[in-house]
This record gives sequence, structure tokens and C-alpha cells, in this order.
Amino acid sequence: MKILVAVKQVAALDEDFEIRADGKDVEEDFLLYDLNEWDDFSLEEAMKIKESSDAEVEVIVVSVGPDRVDESLRKCLAKGADRAIRVWDEAIQGSDAIAIGQILAAVAKKEAPDMVFAGVQSSDQSYASTGIATAAYLNWPHAAVVADLQYQPGANKAIIRRELEGGMLQEVEINCPAVLTIQLGINKPRYASLRGIKQAAAKPIEEVSLADIGLSAGNVGADSSMSRVRRMYIPAKGRAQMIEGTLAEQAAKIIQIINEFKGA
Amino acid sequence: MNNSIVSNASEVSASGINASDITRILFENFHPNAVHLFYVIGYIAIAVFLYGTYVQIRKYHRGQADGSWGELLHRFFDMVKTMATHRTLVRRDKSAGRAHGLIFLGFVLLFVGTSIITLEYDILQPLFGLKFWYGHFYLWFSLVLDLAGLGLIVGLIYMMYRRKWLKLPKLDYKRVDRQAGDADFDRSQYRREDWAFLWSFILIAITGFILEATRLVWLSGRPVVWDYRMWSPVGALLAHLMQAIGFSADGAGTFRTGLWWFHGVLSLTFIAFIPYSKIKHIFTAAASLMFKDPLAGRRLPRVPDDQKTAGYKSITDLTWKNLLHLDACTKCGRCQEACPANAVGAPLSPRDVILSLREFANHALSAKELPKEAELDIHGKGVGQVFMETLWSCRTCLACVEICPVAVEHVPIIVQMRRNLVEAGEMEPLLEKTLQTIHKTGNSFGESKRKRASWTKELAFEIKDARKEAVDMLWFVGDYASFDPRNQKVTQGFARLMHKAGIDFGLLFEGELNAGNDVRRVGEEGLYEFLATSNIQSLDDCDFKSIVTTDPHSYNTIRNEYPDFGGTYEIQHYSTVVKKLIEDGRLPLAKKLNYKVTFHDPCHLGRFNKGYDAPRDILKMLGCELVEMGRNKDNSFCCGAGGGRIWIPDPVGSEKPSQNRMKEAAVIEGLQVFVVSCPKDLTMFEDALKTSGYEGQFIVRELIELIDECMEYVAPEKEVVEEILISQVVIQDVVVTESISLT
Repeated sequence: MKILVAVKQVAALDEDFEIRADGKDVEEDFLLYDLNEWDDFSLEEAMKIKESSDAEVEVIVVSVGPDRVDESLRKCLAKGADRAIRVWDEAIQGSDAIAIGQILAAVAKKEAPDMVFAGVQSSDQSYASTGIATAAYLNWPHAAVVADLQYQPGANKAIIRRELEGGMLQEVEINCPAVLTIQLGINKPRYASLRGIKQAAAKPIEEVSLADIGLSAGNVGADSSMSRVRRMYIPAKGRAQMIEGTLAEQAAKIIQIINEFKGA
Repeated sequence: MNNSIVSNASEVSASGINASDITRILFENFHPNAVHLFYVIGYIAIAVFLYGTYVQIRKYHRGQADGSWGELLHRFFDMVKTMATHRTLVRRDKSAGRAHGLIFLGFVLLFVGTSIITLEYDILQPLFGLKFWYGHFYLWFSLVLDLAGLGLIVGLIYMMYRRKWLKLPKLDYKRVDRQAGDADFDRSQYRREDWAFLWSFILIAITGFILEATRLVWLSGRPVVWDYRMWSPVGALLAHLMQAIGFSADGAGTFRTGLWWFHGVLSLTFIAFIPYSKIKHIFTAAASLMFKDPLAGRRLPRVPDDQKTAGYKSITDLTWKNLLHLDACTKCGRCQEACPANAVGAPLSPRDVILSLREFANHALSAKELPKEAELDIHGKGVGQVFMETLWSCRTCLACVEICPVAVEHVPIIVQMRRNLVEAGEMEPLLEKTLQTIHKTGNSFGESKRKRASWTKELAFEIKDARKEAVDMLWFVGDYASFDPRNQKVTQGFARLMHKAGIDFGLLFEGELNAGNDVRRVGEEGLYEFLATSNIQSLDDCDFKSIVTTDPHSYNTIRNEYPDFGGTYEIQHYSTVVKKLIEDGRLPLAKKLNYKVTFHDPCHLGRFNKGYDAPRDILKMLGCELVEMGRNKDNSFCCGAGGGRIWIPDPVGSEKPSQNRMKEAAVIEGLQVFVVSCPKDLTMFEDALKTSGYEGQFIVRELIELIDECMEYVAPEKEVVEEILISQVVIQDVVVTESISLT
């Protein structure tokens, strides 16, 4: 019994960041990397299954990214994942979510897990499509925005609840193996102590090349993606103004502004 | 015996009495079988005692190793000194300390006396025919032991009075972390044990005196006894009383036999019971004092790299020294009385933590076989287990460790247990978030590293980057002083002082990380190691002579804990640096402040590192009138922020330690300024001043701000200085400034 958890190391912006010279991304220097918040929850969901099961359950985390991603994978290992896989090749640079999904699917084919978990979305790019793309390439059933999961390891069906608009939940029975994208709040992710992370250094992180999973440079990268970033920029800020004067003057000014907005 | 009379023939007194006859004949008029019976009982008592001692030692042996064996002789003399002076017992409770002193002295003298008799009767005389317990030696011996016995009784009576009538809250064993109805809520068995101890002890002493008096009455016809009765004054007084109520010599003789057995068997039972009861503190407290760690809590133990789990999960994770400390506790309650968490109703009494673990250890580690692993877990809600809420209530302020008369080290045990909670993720979500933030950004504010030194921008001069050029003094600023807007003003003030005094100083700028003091006290040892080693790396790459800091927390960990990670530096808290600068005339005081002030000792400067005097000396030099609060110096009351509690919200509706402190300060008539010298104190107390309703009555200021106020800077700098005038108007002004900085 295996669960494959796809994770991503996301970037957060430092204060006063600068855009890269080509205008397509933020200057690397101003990025702080950490594990995607959603992935904490999907890993925890896998760990819960592992820990409550009498049968042997192997939790494998997989990520696509350069060396620095090892730090985030180690955090997953510290939380109890059995092993980690990192796929990287310079050619992957510039891949969109669909292309990444193809890579993850290739890993899944090789590992043949009983379940694939991914976060609903990544906090930096927010495509919310990597997990679903993976399912498409695998041709597996999938469910997005999973807020509750009832699953017995090895079972051929799982009952899930998906989050819909307006606080609605949709209960779905899904055939397994399946790809589920996990929503925040489904559980309480555990804390990875730094000691644990340090000790996890002893656990293996398998570095995998494109060839290892049956892909080539031609399958990935910006040119093989269905979408490409044209530009990244900070939009002009909305206006804000301080209204001064006596209370009556301030009130009059507010009425004037409201009327302007209404187009009066 | 005949030999000795001959050899001592010269010692015949003027009255014609032979000196060797002035003694007490042991087992006088006893049937040999009775003597044998007594010896049998004696040997049984010793066997029971030895077995109990063995069980105790086996229990300690089941703990982990501890490296406190060094300097054994030095430790021993320190222990003897502490015990002889009763220094730790008299502190903050003179009468109890003195009463204990009487009991201690009485017991020691009576024990030594009995041992001397045994030495002669059972060893020296039968083996070598040596005899010395007669004549003048015997008489002085009688007098000393009589007085010792009297002291013992007086001490015990005071202790009984104290327990029965003084109703001291610290002697109430009811637990703050348990509910009425819980199995271990009221701990009444301890109360019963206390009383059993007091009564049996006092009965031994009283029957001893009556026995002495009975013998005098019985032998009143024998001049070698009766004529020298005043050498045992208490016995003599009682003997006269007995005669007065009509005791005849024969009657006394009969009475004596019964009483003799009662006294003898009770005494032997008492001895046999030592390892099984609170009486064992005679040994455990002494040993605890001997193995005292002078840096307990100031320098926390490292977690060995090869250790599987961090901290204490099972009772067997404790070291033998911890287990010994648990047994040393005499339940005196001084720790509970000093505990800031306890004072505001948090579910923590340091004593209860110690007693819980002790009960747990006695239950789990005294049997021949160790119980199963699962039964050794000290965390949980069961009897003898310690609650998570209890552990998280601790501020690691060391008030308990400081006052413990028998050197119990509560805080290191609590932190070790927290390490286990942290590893299991059993903590407040907000704390977890903060730890992650510190890991990610290197500071607890979640600010960008680049912004660490942004407070320097408002200064009229440049501060050197110690990473790029050599400086005399490296200033380790710390998180609160760097990022908190209110504290930044103080930080700028200190920069001006250093600049004015012409100190060659520099900063690490974004190379500085949170020093880790509080992270370590939370129990996140891995993160602490990361922070400490990163900072040590940065410091080692710089060229400087010494470190200065305005943050007592950073001060403590750099001073006491960084050496364990290879970073040994000379570091000073700013108060000692500035004191010297003023004394040397490098910081001339342009004016005197006539404020009536009180000073709050930060835990990490005062209790942790004994920096009590420098801030007070500075206040005096500034012209302030210093009025001390009741709890000051080593008994200073924690602001509530220590041990990572600044990152854990206090429960709504209950008093905070900082508010409790404000109440204490407000009692001082005409108080104008509540002076602190720690960034966290400033934050905590300015908040508490508002929430406890004393705003407008007095203000909270950092000592640096008062010094700054006495400085005359060359223009344009002066404008930056926020004037402190003690008046309602300016207090309002301060509020306004704050609200502006908030927008």
C-alpha cells in the first residue's frame, strides 16, 4: 500500500522586492522558500492513513524542483514520510502546471501508488491545476478541493466530501486509485521540529532525471507548455485619500465621493 | 571496666568521688535477654533502613547519566556550608528557617551523642578496652545534649504551631492543576505524613527527657548521679517535678523500664523509616545541595545528537540527579509562593510538578522490575502525570530554582518535558506559528531580515557594519529591540549614548538572528541549535573585543549557553557599560532627574545573571529617588513574557503577571516612573499599565530613556529625543505619538 503525495516548494515575497530584468518573475534574491501550505495538509492526511492502518502503508513525497527543494522534502520526511523523490532537469524550467502534472504522472506510473494526494493549489502560482493535470495524464478518477476523506488503505473506493461554493459540501464516492487535491483545514498538520528535520537528513531523497521516468526535455519546459508567462508586474495602486476638516466638512466630502461613484 | 578505673585513678574529685563513676551505666538493671532483644530490634531496624536505602539508590540508578561528579570535594564543602549556616532555609522565612535550625542542630547533636556512646560501648571498649564517656566529658556531653533536645522540642513545637494555626497558603497541598474529586487533588496523605513525622519526633524527644528525669529520681540516692543532676538541667527540672507529685525511687524505676522500651523502639522505628518517608530529606536534601548546578536554568542541557527523542517523555529519561532532586523536596512551598504563573492562577505549581514526578518515580521505579515502556510516560492526565497546560504555564523565570532551600532544579526538568511536547507538536498553534516564522525569517516578528537594522535610518550618524570592519564593541541588538516600534526608540537612544561616548561599535545588521534564548526555553532545541550556531558563525567572522546588548534574554544565552556551542565571548549588559561610561565622565549628565522611581529587575539580568546593582547605581547617578517594590532583586516578579510565553496568549479574563506587578508598583506613594531595562519588559508593562488601570498615575520607561534624557546632544540630534516630563500633558502626548505611529 502506497500513497504518493505531490508537494511544492513555494516562494514568498520579501519586503521591497524587485522584478527580474526580463520582467517575467521576481528577482530570485527576494524570494523566501517554504513548503506550500496546502501540502502540509495533504501530507498530514496521508500520515493519518498510515498511522491508523494496521497494514504497511508507505508515504512517498514527490516534488519537481532544483536542489533547494530538498529542504522542503526533508521537512516532509521529518513529519514521517518514508521517502522522497525529487525530479529535476534544467529543461523543466519554465514548465506550466500542466507540464508539471505530466512529470508527476510519470512518477506515479513508476511508483504505482494506491492514492495520489496533492494540494488544491500552490500559494505562489495559484493555478490549482497541477493535481488535476496529473490525474488527466494518469487517466485516473480525481476529486478537487477535498475537505474530508474516508478511506481504508487498499480499498477500491473512498468517500470524500468536496467543498463547494457557499459553505456547501458534496459527498462523492470515488474509485481508487484516484488523485485527490486536498483543501486546507481537512486536518491539523503536525509540527516538524528542527531536530526532526535534522534527523530526517538520514532518510533518502531520490533524485530522478527525466529519462528515469521515461520523459525527455522535449516534453517539458516553457516551449512544451500550453501557457507561457508574458510579464509579471505590480499594478498601479488604487487611490486613497485622507479626509480632513470638521465633522460636517468630512461628511459632506464623503457624500460627494459616494455620489461620484454612483455616477450622479 | 576495672582496668579503666585503675588507669584513671588520678581523676578523683575533691569530694572523693571517682570520676569514672560519673557516667550513665547503659542497660542498668536489664536482664541480659532484654539487652539481646534490644539488639535484635536494633539490627532489624538497621536492615530495614539499609533495604530502603538500597531501593532508593536503585531508583536513582535507573535514571540517565549526569556529569555533575566534578569537583566533588568543593561541592561537599559548599553543601556543608549551606547546611551549617542554614542560609537557604532562613531566606524569606526567618522563623521557619530558625526553627528548622534548632531541629537540625538538635538532631545532629543527639545523633552524634548517640554515636559516641555506641562508639565507646560497642566498638572501642570491647575491642580496645578504651573508655572516655565519664567525668567531665560526660557532664559536658549531658549538658550539650540536654540543650540540644530542648532546642529540638522548641523547633518542633513551632513547626506544629505553624502548621496548625498559621494557615499558610504555601502549606496547603491542594493542587492548582487538579479539580476537587480528582484522586490526587488534596494530597492529604502528605499532611498526615507531616503530622506523623512531627509527633513521632517530638515524642522521642519528650520521652527522652522524661526517661532522663525518671533515672534521676530512681537513682536519687546515688551521689554520682544525683549530685550532678544540674548538668542535665531539663531532666533535673522534670525530676524535681516528679518528686513533687509523689514519685518514689522505686516507682520511678518501674516506670522507667516501660518508658525505656517505648522510647527505644520508637527511635529505632524512626530510623528504620527514614528511606521510606519524608525523613529521608536528611540525606536527599544534603545530596541535592551537593549536586547543585550553579547554572541551572541559565544554561540548559544539550540534547545529544544520537538521542532518539528530544527531552523527557518517560520517567527513565530523567537523570539520576533529577530523580535525586525530586526526593529532596520537602514541600515547603517557597517555589509555589514565588511562582508568577501560580500567582495569577495558572495551573502550575513548581512544587506539584516535582511531587507528581516524585510520586511517579516512586511508583514506577521502586519495584524490582521496571514496568512496560507505556507505563513510564510522564505526560498526560493520569495520577502522577504532568499536564501539558502545566508545562506551558511556566515562564522559566527561575524564581522557583532561586528560592528552593534544597537546590531542586525545576526549570530544566520543565524545559526537558517541553522539548518532548514540541517534538510531538503539543503546543499552542500561535507558538507553533512563531517557531516556524523564526525558522523562516530568523526573527519572531516575521519581518524581512533586511529590515533588522531599519531603526538606524533615523539616526544622524552611521553605525558600522561589524561584518565589514573591526570594532571594539559588537552590539547584539535582539529581536524586540530591533523590530518593535516602541523599543526601536530605546534602541536609537542607546545608539546615541554609545555614539556620544565615542565607543567604537558596530552591528551584525541582517547577519543577526534571534539569539534563541526563549526558543530554547520553549523547548525547540533543534531551532535553538540552528540559531545559536548561525549567530556564532556570524560572530566568529567579525573582529571585535566584546559584545554589548540591551536585551537580557540575548545576554543570558550568549553568555551562558553559546560556550556549549563553541562561542565564547565577553558580553556585557548595557547597564554595566553605561555605568562605567558615566563614572568615567564619558557620558556627562547635563541634568539631574528628581523622579521617584522603582526598578523592575528583568529575570534574565537579575536572577539569571546577578546584575542587580548596575541599573540601581545608574538611577542614583541620574538623581532619581529609588523606592523598591516588595519583590525585588532575587525575588523580582516576572513580567510574564519569559520562556516563550510572550508568543502564547494569556487566557482571557485572568490576571496577567504584568498586571499583578503594576498593582505592586502602584502601592508606592508618589511613584512617577516604573523603570525597566529589558525590551520585553517595556512591551509587557506599558500594556499592563493601560489594562490594569494605572495609566496617568505613573509611566513605564526603559532606563536608557532616562539616561538619554540627561544627555545634552549637539543639535540636530536633540529633536529626535523624546522628552520625558512627568505630567499629564506629556502622557497624553505620548499616547498621541503612539497612535500616529500606528496609522
